[in-house]
Amino acid sequence: MRNETYDIVIIGSGAGGGTVAAALAPLCADGVRMAVLEWGAKLGPEDLTGRELEMARKLYVDGGAVLTRDGAITLAAGRAYGGSTVVYTGTSLPIPERVIERWSVPGLEWSDIDQRCRKYLAENNAHLLSEELINDNNRLFREGCERLGYRVAPFPINTHGCLGSGLCNLGCPNGAKRGTHVVQLPQAEAHGVEVITHCRVTSIDDRICRAVVTPPEHGEASRWEPGEYAVHARIVIVCAGALHTPALLLRSGLGSKLPALGRYLTLHPALILVGEHDRPIANFRGHPKSYWSDQFLDSHGFVLETCMYFPFTTAKNLIGFGEEHAELMRGFERLQMILVLANDPARAENRVTVDRDGHPVVDYTLTEGVLDALHASMKEAARIFFAAGARRIHAPAGVTFFIEARDEERLDELIPRSNVLPGRISITSAHIMGGCRMGREAATSVTDAWGRVHGFDGLFVADASLFPRCSEVNPYVTVMALADRVAERVRSDARELLSR
Amino acid sequence: MIPLSPRRARFLVSLAPTIAPDVATLDTAGRARFESIVTRALDERPAQVRRQLGLLLDLVRFAPLLRYGRPFARLDAHRQAAWLRWLEGAPIVRLRAGFWGLKTLVYMGYYGQPHVWGSLGYRPFSRASSSGRDPGAERDV
Ligand SMILES: Cc1cc2nc3c(=O)[nH]c(=O)nc-3n(C[C@H](O)[C@H](O)[C@H](O)COP(=O)(O)OP(=O)(O)OC[C@H]3O[C@@H](n4cnc5c(N)ncnc54)[C@H](O)[C@@H]3O)c2cc1C
Ligand code: SF4
Repeated sequence: MRNETYDIVIIGSGAGGGTVAAALAPLCADGVRMAVLEWGAKLGPEDLTGRELEMARKLYVDGGAVLTRDGAITLAAGRAYGGSTVVYTGTSLPIPERVIERWSVPGLEWSDIDQRCRKYLAENNAHLLSEELINDNNRLFREGCERLGYRVAPFPINTHGCLGSGLCNLGCPNGAKRGTHVVQLPQAEAHGVEVITHCRVTSIDDRICRAVVTPPEHGEASRWEPGEYAVHARIVIVCAGALHTPALLLRSGLGSKLPALGRYLTLHPALILVGEHDRPIANFRGHPKSYWSDQFLDSHGFVLETCMYFPFTTAKNLIGFGEEHAELMRGFERLQMILVLANDPARAENRVTVDRDGHPVVDYTLTEGVLDALHASMKEAARIFFAAGARRIHAPAGVTFFIEARDEERLDELIPRSNVLPGRISITSAHIMGGCRMGREAATSVTDAWGRVHGFDGLFVADASLFPRCSEVNPYVTVMALADRVAERVRSDARELLSR
Repeated sequence: MIPLSPRRARFLVSLAPTIAPDVATLDTAGRARFESIVTRALDERPAQVRRQLGLLLDLVRFAPLLRYGRPFARLDAHRQAAWLRWLEGAPIVRLRAGFWGLKTLVYMGYYGQPHVWGSLGYRPFSRASSSGRDPGAERDV
């Protein structure tokens, strides 16, 4: 076991960890020693091949194959220098005022969060794409919504020099997406923050992080030799994401003092829907996500977004098998795709626990309300596909594999609610939130409104696990805003905490 | 070698074209790639997942004896499909999710091969096509 000593250790380098590292980095000039311990690898351009299985293995936790305990939901989280920001699509939305009001965390004001969101929107170059970067997949969504009179808006995207290769979720091969791996982590390193990759923290024990560094299977080697480490720090900021932050704190024995730890997990459950056109629309050329519609957010609790997925991901998200499935897949270049995201309630029983080996296990039950929303979304997406000119669509709850345009009037009959069965339809989540929710008391929350873990001086959380409820919009900007607040608190407490 | 008993591994391979018919069009190299993708995916999963898959394969194979009086391999194509459709919508979430996992493994073995992307019309480019870095043009999985 080797020993290392720092003043501040940050665990994880994604939207939360990268933000905290950059925001605290100026302290290095005052002699503060700071390290980011990151489980994943730092990849170079030659590693980013755009091949689906290979990149999933290199960039996702468990190769992207994390499932809830009942196997009904697939959970996607990044594992890399930059965390999920390496694989996110870069849609950049500030959190609406009504959501922060619903969160009702004492001491957390929307105006404060909004101002921080705006700071990161600017820093990450969030902007609307020019018309020539809008591909058919996106244009057809916009046109379909407009024909139906549905609200539709362009997405701010945080790219610079996007070449439209459509590989955002497999790691941008052109360095165009401005995730923490491109913006905040290099900033932090320039100030003297050390980023230790291939370094997995296994537990935290009275300001000692136990960690294991492994030899690289891909990407740059770690700054540290492979082996076991005890990393001493006066301040520890956990930013391992909403799956692994609760798991790490549970492994470290905090569960007995913090009954809410791991609980109130929300997933913003998602469905991928497809419609087939008569002609190629090559949805894989151009930025994949340029428009969204919140038409049904208030009435039904879901939003619709454009999306584009790769052959294997698309295949596994279709219901059914056999010739019809193969026929739809053979028409891949004619497919229009829509992603549905449903708001889910924060329930104590939806939670992360750890198994005997300390690995996270997720128990999550889809409520009838969420299943209703997913059902309604299939029908609305079908209407948009048809309004955009699709010849037929595939609805996961359809009574037939294809629904033809001429049957549009019969959608209620052809997509019955009784077919919306967890495990049968493929539900995914890339927006994992909660598990260390903010709040006033240790009985019902894990941290205060500044990310300080109740009852543990010098221990902070700064990632998506802080969300007390679903964000209702794509969450990364909010994660950065919350992490920025945590960094502010660490700065103001630093003198006292570092002198202990 | 697929990390299941030889009997179960053979059944999985024989079942694959019923789920993804284009598996039957793969040449020898394509079939080898299919098996190597499936092998690697299973090797990387916990032993418990492999055990559950083994049991599910036995269920797919032998439960038709109770329902139709014959094992899966001796059902006609229509009944095979009807049996798999029943599993897909089975009354127990674990069973439905298990069948989804089985399908996913087969789709991974086939659609995860860059070699088949051309036949789908999927032609991604990463940086500049001229640099030879087209993901679809790569030959290894
Ligand atoms: C495919 C995909 C697409 C998405 N698209 C969008 C989008 O377009 N817009 C949007 O707003 N949001 C999007 N999101 C969600 C967004 O990326 C996340 O909400 C956000 O990155 C969460 O930040 P985080 O800091 O909590 O976790 P992450 O960014 O996931 O970072 C956690 C980091 O901690 C590391 N880690 C975990 N455990 C340990 C440990 N024990 N020791 C050391 N390190 C550890 C992980 O390797 C990882 O790098 C997407 C997510 C995914 C997966
Ligand atoms: S579409 Fe743009 S941001 Fe996405 S991978 Fe391609 S170049 Fe990168």
